[in-house]
Amino acid sequence: MTAFLDVVLGGVFHAAVLFLVAAGLQLVFGVQKIVNLACGSFYALGAYFGISAVSWCLAHGMAPALFLPVLLVAGLVAGLIGPFIEALLLTVYHRDEAFQLLLTFALVLMFQDVLRFFWGADPQQLGDLVMTYGRVKVGALQVPTYNLLVIGASVAIAAGLGAFLQKTRFGRILRATAENREMSLAMGVNVRWVYASVFTLGTMLGTVGGALVVPTAAASLDMPVELVVEAFAVVVIGGLGSMRGALAGALVVGLLRAAAISWYSELEMLAIYLVVIGVLVVRPGGLFGRPLE
Amino acid sequence: MKIAAVLVAFVAVAALPRVLSPYHVTLVLPALAYSIALLGFNLLFGYTGLLSFGHALFVAIGGYGAAVLSSKLGLRSFEAILLLSAAAAVAVAIPIGLLAVRYVKIFFGILTLAFGMLFHSFLFKFYDLTGGDTGIRVLRPSLLGRAYEDLDKTTWLVGPFYYYCVGLLAVLAFVMWRLVHSPFGLHLVATRENRRKAEYLGVRVRFFRLIAFSISAFYGAIGGAILAVNTGQADPELAYWTHSGELVFMTVLGGFGNFFGPIVGAFSFIFLKDQLVGLTQYWRFWLGAILILIVVLFPRGLSGLVERMWARLHRSTPS
Amino acid sequence: MNSKRRKLLQALGGTGILAAAQPWTSAPAFAQNTPLRVGIIAPRAGIAGTIGECGLRGTQFAVDHINSTGGIAGRKVELVVEEETNPKDSIERLRKLVLQDKVDCVQGIVSSGVSLAMGPVAEDMKALVIFWDGTTQDGVKETMPDKHYAFCSTDNECEAVMSSLLAVKHWKGQFKTVAGINPDYSYGRNNFAAFQALLKKFGIEHQVVADQWPKVGTTDLNSHVAALKAAKPDLVFSSLLFADLPIFMRTAHGAGLMDGNTKFVFPAAGFQHTALKKSFTPPGMIFGHNTLYFDYAKGSDLQKKFVQWYHEKTNDYPNWEADRAFFAMAIYKAGVEAAHKAKGGWPGKEDVISAMEGVKVQSLGGPGMMRKDHIAEQTFYQGITTHDNKYDFPTLGTVDVMYSDQLQKGTGQDFWKWIETANIKM
Repeated sequence: MTAFLDVVLGGVFHAAVLFLVAAGLQLVFGVQKIVNLACGSFYALGAYFGISAVSWCLAHGMAPALFLPVLLVAGLVAGLIGPFIEALLLTVYHRDEAFQLLLTFALVLMFQDVLRFFWGADPQQLGDLVMTYGRVKVGALQVPTYNLLVIGASVAIAAGLGAFLQKTRFGRILRATAENREMSLAMGVNVRWVYASVFTLGTMLGTVGGALVVPTAAASLDMPVELVVEAFAVVVIGGLGSMRGALAGALVVGLLRAAAISWYSELEMLAIYLVVIGVLVVRPGGLFGRPLE
Repeated sequence: MKIAAVLVAFVAVAALPRVLSPYHVTLVLPALAYSIALLGFNLLFGYTGLLSFGHALFVAIGGYGAAVLSSKLGLRSFEAILLLSAAAAVAVAIPIGLLAVRYVKIFFGILTLAFGMLFHSFLFKFYDLTGGDTGIRVLRPSLLGRAYEDLDKTTWLVGPFYYYCVGLLAVLAFVMWRLVHSPFGLHLVATRENRRKAEYLGVRVRFFRLIAFSISAFYGAIGGAILAVNTGQADPELAYWTHSGELVFMTVLGGFGNFFGPIVGAFSFIFLKDQLVGLTQYWRFWLGAILILIVVLFPRGLSGLVERMWARLHRSTPS
Repeated sequence: MNSKRRKLLQALGGTGILAAAQPWTSAPAFAQNTPLRVGIIAPRAGIAGTIGECGLRGTQFAVDHINSTGGIAGRKVELVVEEETNPKDSIERLRKLVLQDKVDCVQGIVSSGVSLAMGPVAEDMKALVIFWDGTTQDGVKETMPDKHYAFCSTDNECEAVMSSLLAVKHWKGQFKTVAGINPDYSYGRNNFAAFQALLKKFGIEHQVVADQWPKVGTTDLNSHVAALKAAKPDLVFSSLLFADLPIFMRTAHGAGLMDGNTKFVFPAAGFQHTALKKSFTPPGMIFGHNTLYFDYAKGSDLQKKFVQWYHEKTNDYPNWEADRAFFAMAIYKAGVEAAHKAKGGWPGKEDVISAMEGVKVQSLGGPGMMRKDHIAEQTFYQGITTHDNKYDFPTLGTVDVMYSDQLQKGTGQDFWKWIETANIKM
């Protein structure tokens, strides 16, 4: 039983991480219809930035226990790169999707070297900081408190986003713009501004996610290209553009991976792609997406 | 006029080993391989309007085909290797295509990406079968029945193998030229321009897309086999999604609106990358920056640029 | 620390710029007062980037030393550095170094995926290549059966063999169930298989209750640790060696995998030693430091000088890749100078190759040599960890030292047969 819970917990943790990467991807696709291959790069940027911020604060006498708020702030600040990237994307909004995809692919290449320029080739880690919050023990079950915090943060962000999109005026504008851009324009919505803010919000989801998760993992230059593929699996399973889909997709991928690892580890990634293809065959729009033409 | 230009280019490429150092000739080999793969890719992308972000899958099938056939099964004839690898690619392309051609735009891209990564993780994980990350060696094949055992690898690569590949590119480019200018090619363009209208005119859209997909897989595998012989190794990176991204990069760099665009793209990409890697350790950054420039300022790629200059030149000279 | 590293890389990269600026069809430089050109191919980004940089420093230290003491047989050494990436691109870099930059010798390579693909190409091209690392024995046997131009490092399996021997020596009778978590490529696969073969050789009854193969670079190992925990092993054998090793350690500690009496064997811990902080790395584990243990009290003056130089430059302590890189340069120097002396003039490539066969050198970590079959012999350091030191990471409490002729198969032997029949002196 403990073993089973361990496996589930491992899966849920991975799902929490994936949700944070995929949520930004979904938001941007939902409103702007752009698939952002650089979502993994934003995540990595947040991770590196978070490490530097925490290291700087620790060197200036901060109590180790305060590292969580520092990471959050660092993630938000790193996300301020969003508007600049969006200004670049502005040039391809009316072009073929191939150009949009290529532009974000170019960003992936550039980010890898930008990260290397500032942080070097070594993968960066935060040492033992994650243990500051100790471990939670229930019987034989044992888990670092911080892992639970990451899961909690992910759930909170999911709930917050949901409420934001459903309940606020801005959320309604977003959904309207996603639904029908021309109509929103006609209604006097400043689409230009909406796009910039949505993209920045999407970027921040990624950077905050990266910053939050990095104490349990590492920031490395390979991270962006590896993560993108998993994030894609999540959004395809869940349905492109759907927030609920991102949540469901992340859970499917996270738990599936955990199950594959403990049952037959060779299937770790293979199982995920098989499910992706299966979903596309049976339910082309994904679990929460709309049926396609 | 156009035919003359093509002939001149062909002769120039064939003469390269006499002008360039052996190293730069070995660089032309991947350019030739990518040219072939991209001719097929552009049938799908430029003519049919379907963007595959997993096309490296077929390049990898070609590479692993050459590896398995030459070093595991002892087959040495390059002609047989090419045909079998390409046939394997088509055999894989048909079921994938049956699924994928139901979609267009981004969904087509993501689905092909998923299949590419599926193959990558198979290559990576099934170590006993595929050699894992190291991959499988590719032994030097015989060309038209000749083994050239007296030549060392570099001499062989820049000699017989080079001319073989140039010939192959010429033949395959000619076939593709005929294909896109046949009624079939025009139908493809029609399905890209307006699906409903094409259907109305009696074009079976999905069927035509499937055929285009299979042909592009065929070309991809041939390019992959050449690539793997050149390296002497087939490794899983061949199927990784960033390699697919590079294929798209090259095509757009050359210009997908022009028949010869992909060839221009393959050559310029290879030489650009070689120069950048030699100049700076931050070559990925500059490669990305150049890609952004192309996408933003010259969406018709290098061949589009040349076309425009050509047109301007013609207007200014009274005929 | 970062700015220092960048400066070093810029200095190294600068030589690359010099080389690239040459005209496309360059004539070979033949004057003998020109520098010897040595090409280096090492990873500089990604998961093995740290390792590549450490190796580059070993090379830099060796070249500084060589150039300030009269060069190699009177000629200074000039480096041309290229990046090791995937096999296909790295082989193109090799071609560039050999055909374009006309280097006299190529050294480097960390990943076995790249070295095993590159070996046959080097043979085909008649290019003199000395590998730092990345040579799993069966891979070498398959892809480079008759090496003439390629020179390999000690078998990758040496460290697994040695730590298996130590596990038997220290913990015999204390474990029955074993689990593995090893990187998913030939290196990891072979290491875990070698461990099991050695247990069998010493008649230790055991049962493998879990084997995990995370892909190199995986940063979330929670599910892997959960699977290990569920299997309740007495001993965990892990040849993880990149950034995933500290992550594993932290994750396993967090999940309580290290709270019981489980023993841990990490044959390649030395790659990450300074990142394995005491707070999540309990003492009493077997750590392998391969051919360089930076804190070895009986280490040579050369090693102590290097460790100090390295620490001043990086505020860090070197791992064994620095020694491998130094060793490769030392072997090349010894070979060229021996051939130069024998010939009484500047030697050709074939002369250098035959002079390198059997040559003995002092590397940073200790004595080593190049066997006639082009496989290196070096000195290995492993032991049981302690927290009793001045650092924030564990070091070795007891150090075992073995020469690699006890850890790898002899010329022409089969590795698995050798394990069965070898009379190993501990």
